[in-house]
Amino acid sequence: MIQDIDFYRPGSLEELLTFLKDHGSNVKIIAGGTDIVPGLRQKASRFSHVKTLADIQHLHELKTIEISDGHLSIGSCATFSQIEANALIRKHFPLLSCAAGLIGSTQIRNRATIAGNVVNNAPCADSVPPLLVYDAIVCVRSHREDYTVPLNELLLKPYQTRLNADEVLTGFRLPVLADGYRGEFYKLGRRRGVSISRISLAVLMQLQGGSIQDFRVASGAITPVSVRLSGIEEYARDRKAGSELFAQLAQQLGNEIIKITGMRWSTPYKLPVVQQMFYQILMKLNDESVTG
Amino acid sequence: MKFSTIKFELNGKPVEIEVPPAMRLLDILRETFKLTGTKEGCGIGECGACTVLLNGQAVASCLLLAGQLEGTKITTIEGLVHDERMNLLQRNFLECGAVQCGFCTPGMLLSAYALLQKDARPTTDDIKNAIAGNLCRCTGYKQIIQAIQKSTESLSDPDQ
Repeated sequence: MIQDIDFYRPGSLEELLTFLKDHGSNVKIIAGGTDIVPGLRQKASRFSHVKTLADIQHLHELKTIEISDGHLSIGSCATFSQIEANALIRKHFPLLSCAAGLIGSTQIRNRATIAGNVVNNAPCADSVPPLLVYDAIVCVRSHREDYTVPLNELLLKPYQTRLNADEVLTGFRLPVLADGYRGEFYKLGRRRGVSISRISLAVLMQLQGGSIQDFRVASGAITPVSVRLSGIEEYARDRKAGSELFAQLAQQLGNEIIKITGMRWSTPYKLPVVQQMFYQILMKLNDESVTG
Repeated sequence: MKFSTIKFELNGKPVEIEVPPAMRLLDILRETFKLTGTKEGCGIGECGACTVLLNGQAVASCLLLAGQLEGTKITTIEGLVHDERMNLLQRNFLECGAVQCGFCTPGMLLSAYALLQKDARPTTDDIKNAIAGNLCRCTGYKQIIQAIQKSTESLSDPDQ
């Protein structure tokens, strides 16, 4: 049985902000609840302070997905089913729709929301690496102020973000990419369906005349919090694309991961897989851009 | 224990219940309404035995709390007893040998039903994807996939 908990159902976002101002420290915002409900039942310590769940799933203003001013806006309560099926995201942000389709099962994707995935900040959160390589900006509101913050600055440590108790993540803004980008989201779990990522990578590469104009890579599950690997990104820029460079980058990726996590029992198993997959993804993206 | 009044639609009828807001939909169905066709397997949203439809979409009732139900439409396997499409699926499950112990069957049928409501002619991959969240430990998936496939073919075949 779940601890004695109150439910609060705000009529609007403004109502919620006022409620959080007065009761924020004991309130957890709930949308799909696919992380919170099992967490509460397992008495996870990260939910032990929760006295009230504030349900926001019914607030329609938080569900919209649209493109304007060169940016895609995704409301915080957009579900992964919505994101996977959305034509704009498929066209302009294919890594995100791919990751969305690989999360949990249909039953989970019909409820789980993108903001829930980000705020829960599990190392294996599948939407985070794509959001990072797409330079996602997070929109936050509270009774005090509205502000935006780059996603990488919001993620603090596993299962923790920099959001304050009186703040609500209302959505994401992703700049639409210039032409010539190719990318891939890679996920490795213990099985194909309904699996938790053991390794995930999001890679974006922009090529021009055989040389790399822009290069972006973000890790998932292999680092405590998903991160952009800026050392590798900078090294790759303006270099000639090809197997020689890609092998170097794969080597560097391994070094970066060890630098972040140290040697773990799983390192000898995971590292060769990450490096090999990274190399293969880069070769594939390069081949695709040659053949057009 | 605090109680809240929750109003929602269950199998086409408006209902009003007085329950703790953190009570799971799964428990409300089985204990308050004695609708035991919805099963509890894992309790963490992985096995799909507790699948129900929320506003027509397959969801895990073990991951939904009473407080989240306000104004929703919930359909359980019992609510589709007289539904033509569900009856066809059920018949094909029997004919294809897609039921052994039967524990996963209500959830499996509802996932298949939700898929066919959205897309009457799904591919085999669509079917596999739709039931990926429903574990079966004894029948084997082959017969289940066949049964769902058969239901799509006969649905789109005017002679049947």
